[in-house]
Amino acid sequence: MKLRGYRGTDRGLLSGPWLAGELLGLPIGDWPALAEPTAVPPPTGDDEELCVTDDAFVRYTAIDWVHRRARVEIGVHSPLSDVDTLLARAVEHGFTGLNLRRLHGWVTPVTRPDTEALTAAGFRREAVVPAATWFDGAPAAREIWGTIRHD
Amino acid sequence: MTDLRPLSPAEAAQGLRRAGDAARGFLGTDPVTQNDALLARELTRREAQVYAAGGALVGCVPNRAQPRQAYVSSTSAGPEPVRALLGHLTTYQRRTSFVALVPEEGAAAFLGAGFAHSGVLPGHHYAGHAFHDLLVLVKEEPCRS
Repeated sequence: MKLRGYRGTDRGLLSGPWLAGELLGLPIGDWPALAEPTAVPPPTGDDEELCVTDDAFVRYTAIDWVHRRARVEIGVHSPLSDVDTLLARAVEHGFTGLNLRRLHGWVTPVTRPDTEALTAAGFRREAVVPAATWFDGAPAAREIWGTIRHD
Repeated sequence: MTDLRPLSPAEAAQGLRRAGDAARGFLGTDPVTQNDALLARELTRREAQVYAAGGALVGCVPNRAQPRQAYVSSTSAGPEPVRALLGHLTTYQRRTSFVALVPEEGAAAFLGAGFAHSGVLPGHHYAGHAFHDLLVLVKEEPCRS
């Protein structure tokens, strides 16, 4: 699996049935039929980087070049995708390609995320923010997961 | 009760500049590495609301994913300006949940206003030639409506 830069022809990869802003956005099985899919915009400024694979995107947003950190969002179209490799590539590109020191992202426990894959990629749970998003008609807690390059 | 006076982004940038080190990390901005024009632009882009509270600045940024939640900051070492901001946001904007990302030395103002520890973001902030941890402090208010 190889991350490549986003092109306009990859637009279809940017929307799907995930929770917005999720670190590891896997398709939610019981997504309401009439609900609009979540979509991320194409990159516009120098504080964003968008990479894609054949069935997923990796978005580095809120890149701060002073603090050398970024928030990561991933959207995977197929639940059968190799998320372990995708996460490893995302971390590798953030640390070596973008030369960032810290990557972090949102994880929403109510969506039953694959935390083993996140842990295998080096992410650790750092904080819990109650009522951080709106899900299924009610506020839902979100966790902040992050990883640091030690150099 | 401390009075709050709303500031324009340009006024807020000048106030942050005057606040010095206490303003580093205020709503994700940093007057040491950002000039006034960039500070004003960043505050506008984040939809920040900044208020003068006595001699300090307090402010909030709404959470776009959850309109009842706001990220708050203060340049004061005391809890009174934070209490005034929370009272304003709770009463007039119906916010019920508040989050503060602050360094260890800035936590007292928020803990004194009723915030609780929720976690630590290691190496999240760079200042003074070193990376520093940020504390995640949270507070929830009952919904009055």
